[in-house]
Order: sequence, then structure tokens, then C-alpha cells
Amino acid sequence: MEICKVFFHLSVSVILSPLQNYPLYIRSVPSQSELKFHYTVHTSLDVVEEKISTAGKAMAEQRELYLGLLYPTEDYKVYGYVTNSKVKFVIVVDSSNTSLRDNEIRSMFRKLHNSFTDVMCNPFYNPGDPIQSRAMFTMVSGLKSDKCGWLV
Amino acid sequence: YVRPQGGAQDFKKWGNSELFTLTYGALVTQLCKDYENDEEVNKQLDKMGYNIGVRLIEDFLARSSVGRCHDFRETADVIAKVAFKMYLGITPSVTNWSPAGDEFSLILESNPLVDFVELPDNHSTLIYSNLLCGVLRGALEMVQMAVDVRFAQDTLRGDNVTEIRMKFIKRIEENLPAGDE
Repeated sequence: MEICKVFFHLSVSVILSPLQNYPLYIRSVPSQSELKFHYTVHTSLDVVEEKISTAGKAMAEQRELYLGLLYPTEDYKVYGYVTNSKVKFVIVVDSSNTSLRDNEIRSMFRKLHNSFTDVMCNPFYNPGDPIQSRAMFTMVSGLKSDKCGWLV
Repeated sequence: YVRPQGGAQDFKKWGNSELFTLTYGALVTQLCKDYENDEEVNKQLDKMGYNIGVRLIEDFLARSSVGRCHDFRETADVIAKVAFKMYLGITPSVTNWSPAGDEFSLILESNPLVDFVELPDNHSTLIYSNLLCGVLRGALEMVQMAVDVRFAQDTLRGDNVTEIRMKFIKRIEENLPAGDE
């Protein structure tokens, strides 16, 4: 399943498509560390899969879209979010960034989810293609600049 | 049986217009695949719009209680304030009248047809909402007005607003049957 990864470097945001686990959209600052993030995000996919399948067993409960902190590494904290259509969003944040609160991460995911929905509604976008939307770019830039104050 | 009165309520009763927007988007992208040439797609959209317009005018006249317009200025107001509101839930402004009073612009701040749409680079000459031009042209033809309608500005192609320019050509004297082009 593609996973939408949204890497923020501040965070790295990655949107992964639901069908084949490849990234549809990656944004990170600075971009030279992108390769390292690919690895981090890829390993986080296992955690995401695990979380989805565990929740599936408790059939009565509805699984929440926001998965929370997937796992902390020494340098980064990785957060996950999965839609009911199995589109996965991953945000990687610098560990030194301790001031980012849970509800802020949730709100970032919500904005990503909304942007992604808008991209899907563009009749010229083919699901599975890399995302090249200007609106998405602007939104993600806005998210990163919002958080810049925290990165000191 | 009396047709319900028109107004913004008609469009808003849809709840939300996503299905409408996505349907139009599917139509345009299918045409792009079928014709592979923006100019041809623009022509097809205009043609389809024309076929809608010659029919829609009957619905419009039955729903709204507007009578015959006395001049082109009145026509412009009716189009902007009644028709656009009824069918698209928006009210464009009427501006840029020519000195002779035979040409004006409709400025659309928003356009439900283009919600979420981003034109890819390989379709830079596509007039995405060209259906509207055909609709206006077909509708006015049925009330004996020959007009020329075109997009002068388009937010999808980078302009700040969407502007439709309408020009009165002539009054149609003979009663021609509504012809499908």
C-alpha cells in the first residue's frame, strides 16, 4: 500500500500512497538529509502497520486516524497518521524540538490531510502520481515557517 | 404544476457542490484524453455549453419571474444577479461597459467549477470553464440575442480574477429552430 509520507525537517513531511508504500510527496529542510529520512520513514512504516493491525482486532472500537508518536530515535521523533483509505502520513521532528505539543502535531496532520484531499479532487491529478500541487507546496511551507520559531 | 421559484437556495440545497465540481472535472479531463489538443477541447466545451444553454433558458424563464429585458444593461444584470446565483450560487459583478453599451465584463471572485483544480503545465491554453461561454451564448440565442462570449481572464491561468467578456452582436429577427450544433 502506498503510504503518504510527509517529511518535515523541522520536521520532514512525507505523504505515502496507500498502495505500494512509495512516497508521493516529501518535503524536508535542509534537503541534504533527505536520504537519511527515507530510511527513518521506511522503518516507521513497520510501526504504522503494526498499529493499524492491532486496532483492527478490537473490532468494536473505531481506530483514531492520528497514531501519535511512533517511536523516538536519538535524533528524531516520528509521528504517524493513517486515513481509512490507508493513506499514511509521517512527520519526523527534530528531537531537540521539545516544545511541539501533541495538539500541534495533530493540527499539522489535519492540514496535510485536507491538502491531500484537495489534491485528490483535482481532476488532472492521477492517484499514484507524485504530487506537484502548488497549493500543497504553499501549505507545507506555511507549516514549516509556523514551526520555525520553535527551532532555536 | 408550478415550477418552484428560483434563487440561491436552489443551488445551496445541494448541500455541497463537490459532486458537481468533480463531475465537471471528469468531463474536462475525459475530453482532454479524447482530443489531446486544448483548442479542440475548448471548442467541444463551448458546443456542449451551447446545447445546455438552449435548454436551460426555458428552465430559467419558468423559474424566475423576469420579463423581457429592455436593453443589454438589463440583460447583464439579470445574468449576473439572477441566473448565476440560481445555477452556480455566485453573483459576479458587471463592469467594464464599452462606450456603445454593447459589451461588458462579468467578474467572478469564485467559480464552483474550478474548486481544487490546478491546470498542469501541458494544458496552458485550456479554457477550463469554457462550457459557461457556450451556455450563455445558447441561452441568449433563444431569446433572440446573438452574443459573443469569451474568457478574458482566468484564475486557473494565473490571473487574479476570472473575467467573462460578453458582446452583443445583433438581434435575431427570424424565428430559427433551436439547432444542435
